[in-house]
Amino acid sequence: MSLRGVWQLQKLIVSFCNWGGSSRGIRAFMESDLPAFREKNPQLEVLTELNRGYHPFLKGLYKNKNERVVCVKNVTPEDVLQCANRLRNAQGRKVVKLKTRHVTKNPSVQGTWSTELKM
Amino acid sequence: MANRRCFQTATRYLQSIKSLTAFSQSLPPTSTHALHQSLTTKPSYHIYDNNFNNLYAQSARFTRHFSSRPTDSEDDDDDDDEEDYESGEEEEGELGSEDESANLSAEDKEKDAAEIGYTVIGPLQKSDRVFKPYEPVFAVVQIGSHQFKVSNGDTIYTERLKYCDVNDKLVLNKVLMLGSQTQTVIGRPVLPDASVHAVVEEHALDAKVIIFKKKRRKNYRRKNGHRQELTKLRITDIQGVEKPEKITPLKKEKKENPGKVAVGA
Repeated sequence: MSLRGVWQLQKLIVSFCNWGGSSRGIRAFMESDLPAFREKNPQLEVLTELNRGYHPFLKGLYKNKNERVVCVKNVTPEDVLQCANRLRNAQGRKVVKLKTRHVTKNPSVQGTWSTELKM
Repeated sequence: MANRRCFQTATRYLQSIKSLTAFSQSLPPTSTHALHQSLTTKPSYHIYDNNFNNLYAQSARFTRHFSSRPTDSEDDDDDDDEEDYESGEEEEGELGSEDESANLSAEDKEKDAAEIGYTVIGPLQKSDRVFKPYEPVFAVVQIGSHQFKVSNGDTIYTERLKYCDVNDKLVLNKVLMLGSQTQTVIGRPVLPDASVHAVVEEHALDAKVIIFKKKRRKNYRRKNGHRQELTKLRITDIQGVEKPEKITPLKKEKKENPGKVAVGA
């Protein structure tokens, strides 16, 4: 994600366990897809952390100080890549239902219409 | 009917065994017709279990030429899938849609993007001064089936645009109307020379919507969650209209035309 050209995701922490079976997918992801992901996103700081005895997760830190944690236990490497891409494509904003699909600060160019307007 | 069932179970069992035993190498490739042929020609089934032997014996007795319905239906499915996907491809219909999009050539992707989303992908941004201050120009643009009245610096949420990445420049070429302080241009239905430039800001999922269905006293209850995939575009430039020159003369123009001053809604 980028706001006005500035990438919003600053850091991605890949936390896994080298013993547990729920980390199998993320371990395979780290061998196969993580280097390519790193190269694709040079602006992103990707860290790998060993966290023994815990389920694996991806943690994304955004510029608005927001943290998004996605648990990837028992997830295939392709799905882990998809999660990582989703974190990278997203802004750090809170996921709320959209009020409108068109956000603007200047709603009218030629003047707002009213019943008294004479053309 | 029972004979056909036996035959189908036999063939299914045979197929499952094929993968396990080395006997599979001597058999022809999996098709009910081929299996049927093998059954009729090779009566020696000593490798299999006794139960299976009986089944085989039964099917061998009733050597009917069964219509290869499964294979026929498979062919039909493939045809339908092929029709749904791009006609130029001869891929199997079993491939998922993701594989299909990966196998499209660049030209096909552009064509798809142009037809479906009315977007043309430009190069990625690299220190371009794309984000200009506000200009009082609007355009009515269509993306997919949705239309937006758009101005410089606006944000639009559309359905997920497939062939573009974050920080990509897009040109939206289906422009239906342009307007500014001095000029209004109406397309019939599209303006051919107009273009609206946008930048992809985000590909994200919407908030989860829970779809709950219930019919009372009928023991029917369904609960599904759904997250729509959206793309956030920021409009940077509108081309094809006369624009007022700069901000300061714009203020003078506003003073000259008090009746047309924008009233905040």
